Amino acid sequence: MRYRRLPALAAAGPGTWKARRRTRPPGLRRWIAGAAGALALTLAACAPGGGAAGPGDADDGGKVTLSLWSWRVEDVKAYEKILAAFERSHPRIDVEFKAFQATEYNNILATGLSGSDGPDVAQLRAYGGLQPLVEAGQLVPLDGKVEALSGFDPKLLEGAKGHKDGKIYGVPFAYQTLQVLYNKKLFADHGIRPPATWDEMIAAAGKLKAAGITPFAVAAGPDATWTLPIVHEIFGNARYGGAKFRDAVLSGGKKFTDPDFTASIKLIKDLEPYFPKNVVAVKIPDVQALFATGKAAMYPTGSFDLAPVLQANPSLEVGAFPVPPPPGSPVTTPVTPGWADGSFGVNAKSRHQAEALELVEWMATPEFGRLYATELKQLSAVPGVTPPDPLLAEMAANYAAHGAPYMLLVDFRYGQPNGDAIFRDEVQKMLAGQTDPAAVAESLQKGVEQWFTAGN
Amino acid sequence: MPRWRVLVVFLLPAVLLYSVFIVYPLLSAFHYSFFEWRGIRQAGFAGLGNYRDLFTVYPYDRQLWRAFAHNALFFAGTMLIQNTVGLLFALLLFRYGRGRRFLQAAFTTPYLVDPLVVGYLWSLLLNPTFGPVNALLEAAGLDSWALPWLGDTRTALPVIIVVNAWQWVGFPMLLFSAALAGIPAEYHEAARVDGASAWQAFRRVTLPLLTPAIGVVSVLTFIGNFNAFGLVYAMAGSTGSPAGSTDVLGLLFYRVAFVEGGVEAIGRSSALAVLMFVFVFGVSLLAGSYFRRRERTLV
Repeated sequence: MRYRRLPALAAAGPGTWKARRRTRPPGLRRWIAGAAGALALTLAACAPGGGAAGPGDADDGGKVTLSLWSWRVEDVKAYEKILAAFERSHPRIDVEFKAFQATEYNNILATGLSGSDGPDVAQLRAYGGLQPLVEAGQLVPLDGKVEALSGFDPKLLEGAKGHKDGKIYGVPFAYQTLQVLYNKKLFADHGIRPPATWDEMIAAAGKLKAAGITPFAVAAGPDATWTLPIVHEIFGNARYGGAKFRDAVLSGGKKFTDPDFTASIKLIKDLEPYFPKNVVAVKIPDVQALFATGKAAMYPTGSFDLAPVLQANPSLEVGAFPVPPPPGSPVTTPVTPGWADGSFGVNAKSRHQAEALELVEWMATPEFGRLYATELKQLSAVPGVTPPDPLLAEMAANYAAHGAPYMLLVDFRYGQPNGDAIFRDEVQKMLAGQTDPAAVAESLQKGVEQWFTAGN
Repeated sequence: MPRWRVLVVFLLPAVLLYSVFIVYPLLSAFHYSFFEWRGIRQAGFAGLGNYRDLFTVYPYDRQLWRAFAHNALFFAGTMLIQNTVGLLFALLLFRYGRGRRFLQAAFTTPYLVDPLVVGYLWSLLLNPTFGPVNALLEAAGLDSWALPWLGDTRTALPVIIVVNAWQWVGFPMLLFSAALAGIPAEYHEAARVDGASAWQAFRRVTLPLLTPAIGVVSVLTFIGNFNAFGLVYAMAGSTGSPAGSTDVLGLLFYRVAFVEGGVEAIGRSSALAVLMFVFVFGVSLLAGSYFRRRERTLV
């Protein structure tokens, strides 16, 4: 068909073309040149390192403007307030805070750091999420440059380290803890106290369920699979053996197929009757609404959810408790799992590295820690800073007393497939009745074995 | 100016735009897929390593085939539901002209809404805790029908196929309507004179003459379904909830490229993108030439 058409076009050709050439508007060539020029400009603007000189270039009167990138679009006001304190004590430096959509941030940052108009200081993801930047050589190692780091909790510093070289690439800003939030009024109405033993917790859940209240606000729907490893940590950390088990897995002494770990997975299945009906179809906003409106009594989640819950219902009286160890647990105290949320690091290509270092050094001071904890109602990673909110302070105290790493996030996000991702899919499968705890553990082990070698 | 130069001048802007925004990204994905990656740094030539990983590294080795099978089911279900219903609507509108304009507009309205939004709206409607669909079913005494539609591994994919059909049914309808209008009325008259029943006339006269339209609809449905992402993402999340029962290639790509975020992400996701492109492009070419051959037998 194509062959038949071409000669036809050619036959119609010469006359037509001549006619067109004669009637062509004189400005056409200029227009084409213009269009090509515009296109070239657009391309230059898109290319990393192109034009767009940042305000950081202008050193008028020795004043330097640092750009600081973050994924916390929600916190712009709070950060501006915090950074104003820095600008007061460092009159030579201005900080321009720029926030990007959290889901796009990783790509934006990786591109920004590879060009010349990236940030001077950047908010960095923790653990596995940090490695692509470290391995691409885009960050300045802070060892020996930010002295205050030596006072930080080593557990939290792990989140800011290069996995291979062990160097520190950021000043941790916050950490999260995992526990059960509960509705104080519902507990009082049903004569329930925060449980001291696992059996007490199950009895309380049974009582609430009989009263028509969802005991645990747990979601396993399409948007909620990432919360399933968190739910597992909250209920199962003590059962699998907490930090000791983690060390054993890392050194090669134990595997995820260990009976203790399998038993910890089974706990989720055992608790399913106390979750909302059809939990596999339930989404995060659903459980947040259930808890905020008093239709669910307990919400196993991270410290990061306290502020949103109170925002949904400011009059809600919320308490928190770490889950008592389940029967048969190697660990006999209630455990509060936690992890470093992220850190602030310096762009290796920054033109104002000295000033950028001054900023991250300040971010390791109690002044920053206190401002951060007050303005953002989060747990500051700076040592010695206690959150003003009493409930957060309680969570922080629990973590300080019996903290343990959220292992799948902390240690098993360094390769593909990441352990957390496999685990959440498999747990959802288990809740959908398609697999059992032993098979979940086997899949997890098999998945991480694709890249993880023990004793490394 | 010689003719070829005029041609070049006229074609240049389009070719430039096309190369910069389509050819270049495609070629770079192709290029990326043959390298090892550490974050955004290329670490060395990998040969077919990234491709091999997709077929051998657990769990991708399973997820790839599972996602492929779901895309195939998605395509089969869409052909069966969306395109059959679209043809039926086109025939009804063609035969009973009243309100045709209005109905055509009504059936195509969901076009105007992004698949992400459609998916979000339907997942609200189907929400097992607060959704009106199950509330209605229960109010009508059909409690046993009030299923967790998107939370059951058996119903989730069919529900998504139906919602997708709901959104796009206007598309085959419009194409078939245009094709029906192009069939000379004499053919039907001749069939009637020869004593053909309505079904025979449809089966022996109308349907064969719709071959070109069927070809176009099938190929475009195939391309759309094998690149499905927005709707599935909105209704089933990035993991193809529940339990991967709605996982499709688009979601797998999204997870490997953006969600899991390992240092190998760029190489593997590029390899997957290249595979998807080659498959969709290849099958579309084959299907296109098949339907052209069929067309030729008609004349």
